[in-house]
Amino acid sequence: MIHETLAATNAVVTLDVPLPDVFWGWFVTMNMWAKSIGTGLVFMLFLLLRKNSSEMSGLRTPAIIVSFIMMNVFLLFTLADLHQPFRMWHIFFYPHWTSAITVGAWMATIFVGLEFVMAAMMIRKDKCLLTKNATESFDKLLFWVTLLAIPVTLYTAGIMAEATARELWQMPTESVQMILAATLSGSAAIILLGGSKLSDETKNFFASILGLSALLAFIIYMSEYIFGSMKAEEVTAILAYVKGDGEYATMFWIGQWVAYILPMALVGLYRVSKSNSILTLAAILAIAGLWVVKHVWLVIPQLLPLS
Amino acid sequence: MQLGFLVDLHLCMGCKGCEIACKVENEVPLSTWRLRVKYVDVGTFPETKRTFTPLRCNHCENAPCERICPVSALHYIENGIVNIDKERCIGCAGCVMACPYGAIYIDPETQTADKCTYCAHRIASSMMPACVVACPVEANIFGDLDDPKSNISKYMQDHRDVQVRKPEKGTNPHHFYVGASQVNLNPLASRREEGYNLFNKITKLPLGGHHE
Repeated sequence: MIHETLAATNAVVTLDVPLPDVFWGWFVTMNMWAKSIGTGLVFMLFLLLRKNSSEMSGLRTPAIIVSFIMMNVFLLFTLADLHQPFRMWHIFFYPHWTSAITVGAWMATIFVGLEFVMAAMMIRKDKCLLTKNATESFDKLLFWVTLLAIPVTLYTAGIMAEATARELWQMPTESVQMILAATLSGSAAIILLGGSKLSDETKNFFASILGLSALLAFIIYMSEYIFGSMKAEEVTAILAYVKGDGEYATMFWIGQWVAYILPMALVGLYRVSKSNSILTLAAILAIAGLWVVKHVWLVIPQLLPLS
Repeated sequence: MQLGFLVDLHLCMGCKGCEIACKVENEVPLSTWRLRVKYVDVGTFPETKRTFTPLRCNHCENAPCERICPVSALHYIENGIVNIDKERCIGCAGCVMACPYGAIYIDPETQTADKCTYCAHRIASSMMPACVVACPVEANIFGDLDDPKSNISKYMQDHRDVQVRKPEKGTNPHHFYVGASQVNLNPLASRREEGYNLFNKITKLPLGGHHE
């Protein structure tokens, strides 16, 4: 590794102005976090429909509205992060289809549009395009919206993969992490929204999704943390920011504990005690911790000088 | 035609003439650079030397910035230059994140991405890029990589140590170096220590273009 030649060369940069610092900051973290909740809720709603549709009755409207709001938060922060937000329309009129940003913007817009239709159907309760019954139309549309939620969840991993300069972000791991972030935050959100409306069996089901998502995401992060350094020099240098006295080490571990380790433990406790308060706490921690985890992973590759 | 750049680091003396010429020619705002010269000090006193490395956009054949740009603001022109249309740019900074060479910045005045264009406007008028003209030792060699008789092609034929930055990224840069070591080309091959920079407190304009 080139790093080991430093002792011999004693090479020190005495003049250079690395151009960008952290360019994608917490606005982009908000973007990813809100999108995870937005699409995650759709996934969970679909699972609930397949598993026990009778429990959907009180959840269709609040879940789709919360998902719609989170998707709008996601779009708002995407727009706010642009240096030329009033030119956002260029994406639709001059689309460049090799860019995951373009593909994602189109898909997310269609997704939010469909969610709006679903929310409107449930609120107005009037005759709908598909059937005479709003609930039936909602459930039919939910299948297609769930299908669309998959690429909408994944496209951010595509953007990270296209960021060639950031070796840490690889498509296979990031795409899995995006899906797991959606299932983690989606299950947590539906547990919070469902509350006493959900049966014990359904709560157990969503608690299992929450716990398993946390476990799998934690395993992937730990795999990258431990083994990532053995593959690429740049990854070693980036991971140094979350190891030892690294600038983001504390934040990284706070994120891992709050998003994954504690929710996993609390889900385990819930299965023994059946205490709703414990499950609620696990859900809140998972949602809050996910923001921290996403932020650290977003920022650390940007700290590495590129020149 | 595929235009390319080659810098002979044996010749470069770090005068920064190219940097200034670029600034003037392209009206590059304060605190941003299309082209800059990196200094790296190597060795332990008294056995020390200073190396100079001009850094600019590599105009990659497989440019990550062009691929990630959602509105084709970054685009190829026929001569291989990766050009930028600042009127179309939405300032998403995707290109900033994608460029492995840190060559793209957000212009604090226009709030759009900007970078070296090999002085595409001058080339369109059959002139050499400003940095080539300004270099007092002709360390910058510019020309058509497709033409075996061009200066750059002949230079590459005559020198065996032609290198590019970060070849492992698969970007196929059209910017080459002769006489470079890892210290010149690999950012991980040198330390960045507080207090060792010749200009420690470089003013950076906030995005918006005005001093606070």
